[in-house]
Amino acid sequence: MNFVSNLILATVRMAIPLLFIALGELYSERAGMVNIGLEGLAAIGSLIGFLICFITGSTWLGILCGALAGVLVNMIYAFATVTLCANHTVYGMAMNIFAPALASFIYRVYFGKGSDLSQITLMKGIGIPVLKDIPFIGPLLFNQTPMVYIAFILVILTSIFFRKTRAGLNYRAVGENPKAAATLGIRVISVKYLACAVCGALAGVGGAYLTTCYSNTYTEGNIAGRGFIALAAVIFGRWSASGILIACLFFGFCDALQIRLQVASVNIPYQFFQMIPYVATVIALSIIGSRQLGPKAAGKPYRKEEL
Amino acid sequence: MQKQKGSFAGVIVPVLSIILALLIGCIIIFCLGANPFVALQSLAVGAFGSKANIGTTLTKATPLIFTALCACFAYKCGVFNLGGEGQFIMGSVAAIYVTLTTGITGVPAIILALIAGAAAGGFWGFLPGILKITRGQNEMIISIMFNYIATLFMGVVYTNWLRDGSVPQTGAVPKESQLPRLIPGMRMTWGFVIAVVVGICIAYFLYRTSPGFKLRAVGINATAAKFNGFPVKRYLLMSFIVSGAIAGLGGSAEILGTQFRLINGYAAGYGFDGVAMALIGQLNPIATMFVALLFAALRAGATTMQAATGVPTSVSDIIQALVIVFTVAGMALTKLPEFTAMLQRRGKRSGKEVNKA
Repeated sequence: MNFVSNLILATVRMAIPLLFIALGELYSERAGMVNIGLEGLAAIGSLIGFLICFITGSTWLGILCGALAGVLVNMIYAFATVTLCANHTVYGMAMNIFAPALASFIYRVYFGKGSDLSQITLMKGIGIPVLKDIPFIGPLLFNQTPMVYIAFILVILTSIFFRKTRAGLNYRAVGENPKAAATLGIRVISVKYLACAVCGALAGVGGAYLTTCYSNTYTEGNIAGRGFIALAAVIFGRWSASGILIACLFFGFCDALQIRLQVASVNIPYQFFQMIPYVATVIALSIIGSRQLGPKAAGKPYRKEEL
Repeated sequence: MQKQKGSFAGVIVPVLSIILALLIGCIIIFCLGANPFVALQSLAVGAFGSKANIGTTLTKATPLIFTALCACFAYKCGVFNLGGEGQFIMGSVAAIYVTLTTGITGVPAIILALIAGAAAGGFWGFLPGILKITRGQNEMIISIMFNYIATLFMGVVYTNWLRDGSVPQTGAVPKESQLPRLIPGMRMTWGFVIAVVVGICIAYFLYRTSPGFKLRAVGINATAAKFNGFPVKRYLLMSFIVSGAIAGLGGSAEILGTQFRLINGYAAGYGFDGVAMALIGQLNPIATMFVALLFAALRAGATTMQAATGVPTSVSDIIQALVIVFTVAGMALTKLPEFTAMLQRRGKRSGKEVNKA
């Protein structure tokens, strides 16, 4: 029983950063922007979140600044891909190299060469009255950090936005057929920039979650491929918010399972368990196969003047 | 004419990007309270100041050339192989196994380890390749996942299977099975020569042979290549395998020539750096090798710069990252219709002067 409840608890905790990053990518791809620079955005969000929290002592301010850093860095991507029409994949790759380099540079400059790890106090969990007293699931689902609730609310809001609102439909039109959207009076370029801002903010929050709510230190490479697993989660979740939630919970479960198995087993090298999330991503994508259901104009440059 | 203009931009944009990145690097160094000129001077001295320093730069360039060529080859066929790091690592693991466990030593061990490295890397490239052509998967995500799996697999090797003593690392490649040095007093080994030869072979294959032409045709327009009867899927798979083999060969050369053992953090970041260098080099194998040399110089010189001025070595990482950020944006800019139209207007106005130049 203890094993199972710990597993569920860890699943939720590990799914949240993926969920933020993957929702960011959803907003990006729905406007036709395929951003593979998520790993880099999360890295800079993670560092800035940690640094601000370390200086001010406020986890909330840390997460906010992490989001802001993600937006700022992603504006470089937005300018290059929307205005200069650079290849999305190539530029996302460039951001994956640039943003982590920037993050580790800022860390070195601020903390010097000292090898002692600086630590911060993690965000505390807040129980929701009444609900947290439900036996078994209460402590698991309703006694978490506020970021967990925010992530779940975000899934619901995103789902409503894209399915039920006029603004959401207009937004999606930009990703499906930007020229048709433009003739309907939608400001395509603005929507694309907005999408990049939202994507940067959410990826930054996802990264900041790792330092302010999960581990209390910053280490280089702490994103550990979550940016790319989030990309897989968007494909696996068929570009819908609820699908992405399920995909993230699945990948979170794989992560949680490997940690529990590492603790439980002695004879098998722990690295084999650490492979589980990555192998699971490969298998999940293999099952999905080539049935691409993404936005039709995703990854394609858009020029106003073209006819 | 069109081609000439394109290649002109392909040279001028990366060069301008390098200058701009160095300028920003100088501003950062100035903001950190150091003298940029002194810093750049110590960087140059650290990279090229003496025979030994040049040797270190070329040693650092060797693995970068391999991973850059790996990324370059796959992208010429239109697939993004981001798995260079994993393929490099698997090549290194194969080389360690050959030299430490088979009992073979000397030149046969070196040759066998290089072949095994290339084979292991090729296999690690085959996996995302076959998943790409049979399941239509996004090859980028898959190849990156295989990077993490390779890194963890290497972890098993140096913490368990081939662990040597209390420190988590493998034993060292025996002296007689190491790649010999090229010139006494310089660190670089025959690995550097192998890297350059591979680069030249790839350039020859891509631009002077019929399969190379077909491979590039698939990369430029897969649909058109298919209508021409080219076996597109076979080319995609082959490009992944060859690209992986190049990285794997680089991994075994690195183990046999420079690192000698597997240890935590080995080869971290080489794959993505390779992609960056290939893009800066405009996917030209020869140009890519020069970019790798530049990156290696920045890395070799950064240590000297840190010792002389106290500027952290990560400044050189920032400079490298800025080069790729500027180059890709710059190349996109030169392809914008507004920009080409502007150039043409200028060209008409001062057409004679341009012709002279």
